[in-house]
Amino acid sequence: MRARKVAHMPSNFILEVGLPHYLVLSSLLFVTGMAGVLLRRNAIVMMMSIELMLNAVNLSFVAFSRYLGLLEGQVMVFFVMTIAAAEAAVGLALVVAIFKRFKEVNIRFFEHLKG
Amino acid sequence: MSPDVFLFWFLAILTVISGLMVVLMTNPVFSALSLAMTMVLIGALFVTLNATFLAGVQLIVYAGAVMVLFVMVLMLFDLKNEIYAFTRGKISGAFKVGSVGILAGLVIGSIGLTASTLLQSSTAPLVSMSGDTTKDLGKILFSQYLLGFEALGALLLIVAVGAVALARSKGGTHAK
Amino acid sequence: MGNDIFEITVNCVKLIIVFLLMVQAVPVLVWLERRGSAFIQNRFGPNRVGPLGLLQLLADAVKFLFKEEFIPEHGIRFLYYGAPVMALVPATLAFAAIPLGYPLQWDSYIFRIQGFEVNVGIVYVLGASSLAVYSILMAGFGSGNKYSLMGALRATAQVVSYELALGLAIVGAILLYGTFNLTEMVAAQQGSLQFAFMGHAVNLSWLPNWGIFYQPLGAVIFFAATFAESNRLPFDLAEGEAELVAGFHTEYGGFKMLLFFIGEYGHMMVGSALMIVFYLGGYGIPGVTIPELQQWAAGVTSSANAASALVSLITFVSFTVKLAVFMWIFIQVRWTLPRFRYDQLMELGWKTMLPWALGNTILTAIVLYIAKA
Repeated sequence: MRARKVAHMPSNFILEVGLPHYLVLSSLLFVTGMAGVLLRRNAIVMMMSIELMLNAVNLSFVAFSRYLGLLEGQVMVFFVMTIAAAEAAVGLALVVAIFKRFKEVNIRFFEHLKG
Repeated sequence: MSPDVFLFWFLAILTVISGLMVVLMTNPVFSALSLAMTMVLIGALFVTLNATFLAGVQLIVYAGAVMVLFVMVLMLFDLKNEIYAFTRGKISGAFKVGSVGILAGLVIGSIGLTASTLLQSSTAPLVSMSGDTTKDLGKILFSQYLLGFEALGALLLIVAVGAVALARSKGGTHAK
Repeated sequence: MGNDIFEITVNCVKLIIVFLLMVQAVPVLVWLERRGSAFIQNRFGPNRVGPLGLLQLLADAVKFLFKEEFIPEHGIRFLYYGAPVMALVPATLAFAAIPLGYPLQWDSYIFRIQGFEVNVGIVYVLGASSLAVYSILMAGFGSGNKYSLMGALRATAQVVSYELALGLAIVGAILLYGTFNLTEMVAAQQGSLQFAFMGHAVNLSWLPNWGIFYQPLGAVIFFAATFAESNRLPFDLAEGEAELVAGFHTEYGGFKMLLFFIGEYGHMMVGSALMIVFYLGGYGIPGVTIPELQQWAAGVTSSANAASALVSLITFVSFTVKLAVFMWIFIQVRWTLPRFRYDQLMELGWKTMLPWALGNTILTAIVLYIAKA
């Protein structure tokens, strides 16, 4: 996939780093996180994958901010970071509550609402 | 190859590898540690983008606090290698991988097709992005985006109370 | 391009030198700690190997190197071996950003007596030292021992809690100096105590212009939080030997144990160095300003380069003396105060130090606003 893309890009893709490089890197990380959310069954690992996706978005925000010369991107990163921290705190509290109830954090064991 | 370019490729390759390790490791503790590694590397990438203050905050908030919480919870649960780490259904799993792959192809393809119109370097910046941006960032955060900042403070307070209420139980962690 | 390569080489060499400085200080400190504790407890301490027992640590190092390799049966190999290495990294990275002396000017090239100059020095140092938790967690989990795990969890909770008080205590200093840059902070503290308050200029020539006189509460909170951050007595709950054998390094021996030791001393050094930079004038000498020192050096030496080198050397020695005083305070406190109970520790961190640090921040902001109006 990556090799095919290189053909479309300018031949100095490797030697000149610009905005597209950061965007490609960010989208690769985002997709990795998304695959983690879809494929993993451990609730904590799924939350970590969400954190990875948020980080990928942060990276593209900062890259845009740098190359557009606007600081709004960095302000957004602040907000995303705060919300990610809040999300992690609540999510982990939920996971701890679930673990106490089921002795398990694999979503395979609590997908039927059996109680 | 100039040092900047070398630095970018070095960090980018390491970031992608450690990002993949988060998803592929069957032991959740290793996943968490490689996610911490990814976050440190993304902080380093922030430095290459002249966002030094954000890089420091990334280290303190993500690597130093959020991921430590994750690792602590994982260690409290004492989870070892999981047998059911991934989804069970082979067909649905294939669909998931396929859809993720298609998304990646579409996003990267669109970036590649528009690469010529995307900015290659900083043009006509409103603020000087070449030097340190910390002071300007503080000014813009506490003037234009003050309401959002205050709202985040309120959100954090609510979340702190909520997390304590959720995690609290009468008998502590060893309640039967 | 050539200039880049030169800068990169110089910085790499400087990083190695800073690392070696830190590691080489550890044997001296261990000797000081053992002898000092012996004198505090009315014993002799190690006094057989070499003059005053100074070579004891060399003998110890040789012993450490020849100890048997050992890994616990239920340990996780990667984490078990990775943890001691990780213990060294954050302290070294943080220490490298601290200015150790006045910049040396050789013709037109300015050589900084610090690993590297970061414009957001404080944020960087805090960020780098917040990574120290991972070493503890890795050691605790990798050992496959419940005492190690309990010790690691305790240590982590403690470090994360006290990081808040530590960070908030510094905010007052940041407001005062209006910069994140450690070098600028040190430069702001030179000369005698003088400030303008509501249009009146105050000048006390018998006191140095140090941060501790503006931020006494911040300094106290910061210093106390440093003890907790480096897991030293009276906050060494992580290794309370009566309850947890030895905490997160129960299963470690030989050279790996020594690496943890170096990491701990490294944290003490970073904490003391930050204390000096924020509150005690950095590399400055009380009563003497840098221009006075430069004038004197120019009179003593023949060339401008040598004078600059002399100034750098003197400021470096001044910094080292201050650092040594703080290290001695660390050792003295360790052998004087008893250990806290864990709930007392958490209560002190969350219910006492955090509100006081917050109050200090708000008060500083208000006073600065009034003073500048």
